[in-house]
Amino acid sequence: MDTLTSHDIPQLFARLSKVFADQKEALITLDGQVGDSDLGLTMAKGFAAADKAVSELGDAPIEAQLKAAGAAIARAAPSTMGTLMATGFLRGSASAKDCDDLRTEQMALFWRAFRDGVAQRGRAQVGDKTVLDVLDPIAMSVEADAKAGTGLSTAMDNAHAVAVDALERTRDLVAQHGKAAAFQEKTRGIQDAGSTVAVILIQTMADFVSHGAARPVGT
Amino acid sequence: MKKFLNNPEDFVDEMLEGIYLAHPEVTHVGDDLRCFVRTNPVPGKVGLVTGGGSGHLPLFLGYVGENMLDGAGVGGVFQSPSSEQVLDVTRHVDQGAGVLYLYGNYSGDLMNFDMAGELADLEGIRTMTVLGRDDVASSVVGEEHKRRGVAGIFFAYKAAGAAAAAMKPLDEVARLAEKASARTRTIGVALSPCIVPEVGRPSFQIGADEMEIGMGIHGEPGITRKTLTPANEMVDEMMARILAEQSYETEKDVAVLINGLGATPLEELYVIYRRTAQVLDQAGARIRHVFIGEFATSMEMAGASISVLQLDDELQQLIAMGANTPFFKHIAQ
Repeated sequence: MDTLTSHDIPQLFARLSKVFADQKEALITLDGQVGDSDLGLTMAKGFAAADKAVSELGDAPIEAQLKAAGAAIARAAPSTMGTLMATGFLRGSASAKDCDDLRTEQMALFWRAFRDGVAQRGRAQVGDKTVLDVLDPIAMSVEADAKAGTGLSTAMDNAHAVAVDALERTRDLVAQHGKAAAFQEKTRGIQDAGSTVAVILIQTMADFVSHGAARPVGT
Repeated sequence: MKKFLNNPEDFVDEMLEGIYLAHPEVTHVGDDLRCFVRTNPVPGKVGLVTGGGSGHLPLFLGYVGENMLDGAGVGGVFQSPSSEQVLDVTRHVDQGAGVLYLYGNYSGDLMNFDMAGELADLEGIRTMTVLGRDDVASSVVGEEHKRRGVAGIFFAYKAAGAAAAAMKPLDEVARLAEKASARTRTIGVALSPCIVPEVGRPSFQIGADEMEIGMGIHGEPGITRKTLTPANEMVDEMMARILAEQSYETEKDVAVLINGLGATPLEELYVIYRRTAQVLDQAGARIRHVFIGEFATSMEMAGASISVLQLDDELQQLIAMGANTPFFKHIAQ
């Protein structure tokens, strides 16, 4: 499909909830290398809460759906990453004000607001080995596709491909924030756990846009 | 580790249960012990909310009370409270006049208070934020926004608490809190490390004959570590940092806070005050208020900090106002 409407959003969050539940153990293991191992748990809890909040809204505009999802994640996952994801969706919701559907152009605004919100809340910069190192390339990719007039499905696939590359490059970076920062040089060579969450997010959205809710997402 | 503990994991909650049993004028929101609030809110008043990690008593929750603060989010030892806890406290203390967040400049606290503020905004509760960033040792002049909040935040609590009690509106309370915060300078010195109960060993090592000037209240590295000097020499070195940023030529009045970090006797704090008063006098300052004791500790760390607030007329009046909390009693002057 080349657009997401308010009818699609609850299905998208149901899909995200399922994927993060499936990825729980893998994220716990990844985070455990230099963090406190709670990432898998908080993401699973956060997106399950978002799914519930959005489905309970009934018929609501996209802005309200994304806002409800962000607020639900903040409450259910009061960790650093939960707070950053919550901020992303809350800021993204503001960018979707008065939108009846999300095409590439609106999706670019959503990801830009998502990225800027995360950067502001986390007081991080690109290159600090955080989720921002994947969110920034995603935002730039969707923005470029919006300018080029690319359809949503292709734009999301492009953003996913860019995100996978960006995730691989986080291995070369040294952590500057959170518990991982104490490990400094030891974090080099390790894939960043927070950035992995961003890849799962964009991959799930890209798959959803390409194939709808029916097709299971492989990660 | 030699501490009075049961299970280290229960340390914070058992401390809180003790406080609630001893002081009925404070309570918690719902069943979360860590959402600390006054039992009797004042209708129509701007709500003042602070918070931060445990391990610093009387900071932070100790200043919740009459003419001071209305609530505190209580984190684990040296850990931020969650945004959900801060939001619960915010909802509880909001009396329709909005809520001021007043806490120390630490990244975990910033993220959670900002998040709570954004969520409160969605619910129609207006919040503003003022940060304590008084520690001169934590960043140079020109980079004051990066400074950590330490004992000197007490002055901002006192000013904001008095302003809110006088029923001033949120913007005005925030302005006065910001003014008190911006005019406060603190410098600390540590003689021994502290032990976080769940960690069980000292957070850093320091030689038996050494001191570290400028160390933070979680053991963050300071400016200089060297062999312990006589107290006067140490105070002179510490005060030089403060005097470099304050001039008493036109505004002479100051309030002084001598704070013990947990394991330093009051006697020694008075030895420190003696020299501090001499140095301030020589610099042309006039000391209007003196507070000496434990205000912001770091578990069992031995050490002290000196804070100086440069007063103007309105701050002078606010600091002079009485206050009454479980941990701080002040008779109006």
